[in-house]
Amino acid sequence: MNWLSMVANRLLWFVPTLVGLLAIVFVLSRVIPVDPAVLAAGENASAAQVQQVRERFGFDKPLPIQFANYLRDIAQGNLGTSLFTQQPIVDDLASRLPATLELTIFAVLIAGLVGIPLGVLCGLHRNSWIDHVLRVVTVSGLAVASFWLAMQFQFLFSMKLGWLPLSGRIEGFPPEPVTGLMLVDAMIEGDREMIGSAFRHIVLPTLTLALPAAATVVRFTRNGVIGVINSPSVAYQTAMGLPRRLIVWKYVLRMALTATVTQLGLIFGILLAGAVVVETVFDWPGLGAYAVRSILQSDYNAVMGFTLCTGALFVLINLLVDMLQAAIDPRGAA
Amino acid sequence: MTTTRRDALKAVAGSVALASLSIEGALAQAGGKFVYANNSPYDNLDPHTIFDTARAASRFNLYDGLYRWVDNPPKMIPWLAESHTVSDDGKVYTFKLRQNAKFHDGKPLTSADVVYSIERILALKKGPASLYLDSIKPGSTQAPDPHTVVFNLNGPSAIFLTTVPDILVVNSALVKANEKDGDWGEAWLTRNEAGSGSYALRRHDPAVGFTARRFAEHFAGWTGQPFDDLEFRTVLETNTRVLGLIRGDFQGADGYLPYDQIQRLRQSSNVQIIEQESMRVFILALNCTKPPMNNPNFRRALAYAFDYDGFIKSIMKDSVSRNPGPNPNNIWGTPAGLKGYSYNLEKAREELKKVTEPLRPITINALAGFSESEQAATLFQSTLRQIGVEVVVEVSPWSVVSSRMRKADTQADIVPLWKSTYYVDPNNWVGELYGTRYHGTRTFSYYSNPEFDKRLDRALVSSDQDERRKLYEEMTQMVNDDAAGIFVYNTRWYGPYSSKVEGIRFSPVSNGQDIRWASLKR
Repeated sequence: MNWLSMVANRLLWFVPTLVGLLAIVFVLSRVIPVDPAVLAAGENASAAQVQQVRERFGFDKPLPIQFANYLRDIAQGNLGTSLFTQQPIVDDLASRLPATLELTIFAVLIAGLVGIPLGVLCGLHRNSWIDHVLRVVTVSGLAVASFWLAMQFQFLFSMKLGWLPLSGRIEGFPPEPVTGLMLVDAMIEGDREMIGSAFRHIVLPTLTLALPAAATVVRFTRNGVIGVINSPSVAYQTAMGLPRRLIVWKYVLRMALTATVTQLGLIFGILLAGAVVVETVFDWPGLGAYAVRSILQSDYNAVMGFTLCTGALFVLINLLVDMLQAAIDPRGAA
Repeated sequence: MTTTRRDALKAVAGSVALASLSIEGALAQAGGKFVYANNSPYDNLDPHTIFDTARAASRFNLYDGLYRWVDNPPKMIPWLAESHTVSDDGKVYTFKLRQNAKFHDGKPLTSADVVYSIERILALKKGPASLYLDSIKPGSTQAPDPHTVVFNLNGPSAIFLTTVPDILVVNSALVKANEKDGDWGEAWLTRNEAGSGSYALRRHDPAVGFTARRFAEHFAGWTGQPFDDLEFRTVLETNTRVLGLIRGDFQGADGYLPYDQIQRLRQSSNVQIIEQESMRVFILALNCTKPPMNNPNFRRALAYAFDYDGFIKSIMKDSVSRNPGPNPNNIWGTPAGLKGYSYNLEKAREELKKVTEPLRPITINALAGFSESEQAATLFQSTLRQIGVEVVVEVSPWSVVSSRMRKADTQADIVPLWKSTYYVDPNNWVGELYGTRYHGTRTFSYYSNPEFDKRLDRALVSSDQDERRKLYEEMTQMVNDDAAGIFVYNTRWYGPYSSKVEGIRFSPVSNGQDIRWASLKR
């Protein structure tokens, strides 16, 4: 299988994967003992008002028909209307996705930039004091609850030291978005104060997300390096007299990073869908907060829209990871 | 047409209030920004769609009603309307509008806008609509001249006047221009504003909240140092709201924070706590339909088995007041000296002996995320076990609980929850919670008692205040005798505000979010 057919194969699975995901979420959301029409009509609504809402949103139809109608609408680019914001789900998601993307991209970057060098260091100095110390740190990083870490950061950096803001994406109410990525928008505006403010605001939520992720990257990179460095190919290169630095940076790292890249892709997807706690604590108006509220309010369309959005991003990111892996190690695409 | 004694009193109160407003004139000075952190989302700004007290900010800062509830105990003052009269048969309410009110776009506010607003409420059938659907027919409200509105009710209504502040007036021309497919501008008004309120919308981001700028031309005028800008943000995490208040990032936050957080805020010199007895009664709602819950003896056994003092002292840390009946202590309609029930397991056992139906496990459906509701359920479970009643505690989000409460056969046996203030009349509590006419809508109990309903029917049409008082007192006594609910406490409101803010006027209806009266301390 060459590189192109690998991509085509993955894309072919894209649609059925999403339909399967939607089917599961659709059934689960209908199992919950909640009548969304009651919620949408309001707590003081009469039975007639509730029925009217039920008919308007098609909740009175059999489940298979509701699902078929939903898939038909999606094919037309219509994810429905939120029961509570009264806005198209597409608009709701589009306005919140950039905030989560910005947070996740920064977190994955930091996780990679911190985790890969430390993982290589541990792998090259296996069972040394550096390896032991980092093992303790990374296991702790994986074990710590993100809401606890977030609050400790708030207490230390915002309340005690006063270095960083407590919450939000920027000082005051956010301006009209251009891309929705606050730092990018600030750069487009050329407003240094805004750039500084956006940067200061993203530090704590990013660190909260990135530290456990970096711990994972360290562990995977370490294991990858140890696996490669003990391989016959490295023994051969050493025997041939190649400089150790060349062996490590050109051969070992390249082969060892295959698993790490896969892991970074998975981390990106997990953080994208799982930044809920961090977004809530830091008042970061992203997809996570939207998903939680939608679930609590049984806003079916919004829950399905969120699932579709994160599911699609997850599949696309995995595709990118596969492509990147193929570039790093062409044998993988074969 | 005649004006009743109550109306005359209100007109007097109103003229005093308006006199004070007219003095305010243009004395206002620039007053900075007020940032309020709320735990509920401001994802919809339509004043005819949203109707919960937690999100009162957009309704009462961006919009005006004919009358307005202010202060605590709440008093109704004339607002867009200067006065009103009621016909002899109690069916025709005529309001005279102020001449100088205008919308944020400069258009004068007229009676046509009021008519459009009530028609819109009736057509959308959301939010406040259920207050009017039974009493006002679509198309029946008239605007004989630009400053007179006539509401022709289906029949006399004793509570109509108390619900008038909820008819918030929208700019009909602006909304009509943004109607789409006959939607009464619903999609547009969710994200935009068409009001005449004290503040005009600047930006709305449903994920964040909204900002508003002081409307200098508001008819009520300004005095002192009012805030020039308001920012209402959704901050879901309690800890973040509390820390933000301590840091000075926020100047106000919702007033029903857990009491330990209030104590924490009291340690900060940046924060002041404004205390008021609210009108938000904590009730263990009993579903009175399924055996043995339909047996008053069983319900009385339950009422004797709840440890009221233990709950209030140990769990609520004495931060609330015992409220023995369905109506808040601070409103009329409760018979003098009503003691309600007290914790007495011996009496509970005696009542239980009179129950002939077989006992079964009782389900308590507590509200997820509301610690008091969950703690009440757990406490009740342990005391009921002592009298041989098994309890299953389920914890569900409000969406699940409210959906189940829509029907008697799906509502749990017991639901620990609060009844807030939508209008200031005992009907908001004892009437709605226990009247058969409210089954499937605003009832918490599915209680049905012909004697109760007879009094309720009369109380809803009587214009005699003394008669109404007597009727609601009798209804409250009936509910108490039948133990149709377990009434625990009336909430105290602990409004956390920056110590630099003054002039907050708390009303249970606007929930401390009506900011036009507030200012920075000089």
